[in-house]
Amino acid sequence: MKIRIDGMETEVTSGETILEAARRAGIDIPTLCYSEAFGGQGVCRFCMVEIEVGGKKRLVASCTYPITEEMEVRTATPAVKEIRRNLVTLLYRRAPDSDLMKKLFQEYNCDRIEPVDPEESCIMCRLCVKACEKVGANAISTVLRGTEKRVATPFDEGSEECVGCSACADICPTGAIPVKEEDGRREIWHRSFEMSRCEECGKHYTTQPVSEHVKEQTELNSSSENICPGCRRKKLAAEMAKVRLHVD
Amino acid sequence: MAVNSQQAADRQAIEKIVNSYPPERRFTLAIMQDLQKHFNYLPKEALQMTAVHVKAPLSAVFSMATFYKAFSLVPKGRVILKVCDGTACHIKGSNVMIDEIYKTLGIKPGETTPDGEFSLETVNCLGACALAPVLVANEKVYAKITPAVLRDVIKKYQGVEQ
Repeated sequence: MKIRIDGMETEVTSGETILEAARRAGIDIPTLCYSEAFGGQGVCRFCMVEIEVGGKKRLVASCTYPITEEMEVRTATPAVKEIRRNLVTLLYRRAPDSDLMKKLFQEYNCDRIEPVDPEESCIMCRLCVKACEKVGANAISTVLRGTEKRVATPFDEGSEECVGCSACADICPTGAIPVKEEDGRREIWHRSFEMSRCEECGKHYTTQPVSEHVKEQTELNSSSENICPGCRRKKLAAEMAKVRLHVD
Repeated sequence: MAVNSQQAADRQAIEKIVNSYPPERRFTLAIMQDLQKHFNYLPKEALQMTAVHVKAPLSAVFSMATFYKAFSLVPKGRVILKVCDGTACHIKGSNVMIDEIYKTLGIKPGETTPDGEFSLETVNCLGACALAPVLVANEKVYAKITPAVLRDVIKKYQGVEQ
């Protein structure tokens, strides 16, 4: 099937989202709550585009809208631009302490607005909750609702399920989840974890429950190496350098 | 001893409620409604046991428990006073009623008296605007209330033990 995105004809498979098709065609649609690892969530609505099917125009979230028929997609119409600008204004109002929102606020030339809480930096994109779910810990979730909604552990206490992997903080686009690493310990979500050292460089790189969790998940035996991503890369590169291609 | 036996009784009550539903995630809400009805709030232990029973993460159960206004994580009073603060009741002086309750019981909306007798809530509309201002005390509706009526209602409930 063929669709047109910003006047460019592109081949798509049925069921694929507009965002996927556009990115493959090299057309950038801005997103906030999207991660290739999880697919579209449809939370932030930043990826809204205009579609035209059979002469009718409407606005859809491109990250969750599956293409099932021929259509014309426009990613930068005045209506779409206005929505993005409004979204940035509102998210900046909510999360003024985030560098990302400060940058976008400038970029989209938004009108000045009084922030709700000058120290807030969470934009409620839910990527952290999704990451925690994918890790298999399910330690955090959104609590309360409406303007009071936030991400937290049950009862705002240390969660037994948390392994201290910091996937939530790593994926957070606005750096809203505090992680403290000091003296071989990592503090996150009201808990403190002892960290593991890399067998190569000796640096602390993950928490002990994570090492165990990974072993459980991948059924690696205890003799497998505990090395940090940096050293692993170096080691693999060194091994690759030794590989000789035998092409006859 | 007394505290321990109370704990054991609570635990049994939770178990009874939780186990009366099949261990499936879709019954989470129903279990929590029964728990709320029995305890007037959702005890921490109850949420933990619910999560185990329906095989859902505690974070998901907690998320649901905090999402719905019908649930409370702190004990609610024996008598729940709901003052309607919808448009009609608001115009007819519901804020005066809320002030009157504060004067008599010392609680604001969302609060419970220290003796665990009364809780005050505001609701956005009860659909009985012709009866404004409306008060609901433990499901019983009081129409066209005045501060004097309010004091009588409170006095009546103070006297009645369940």
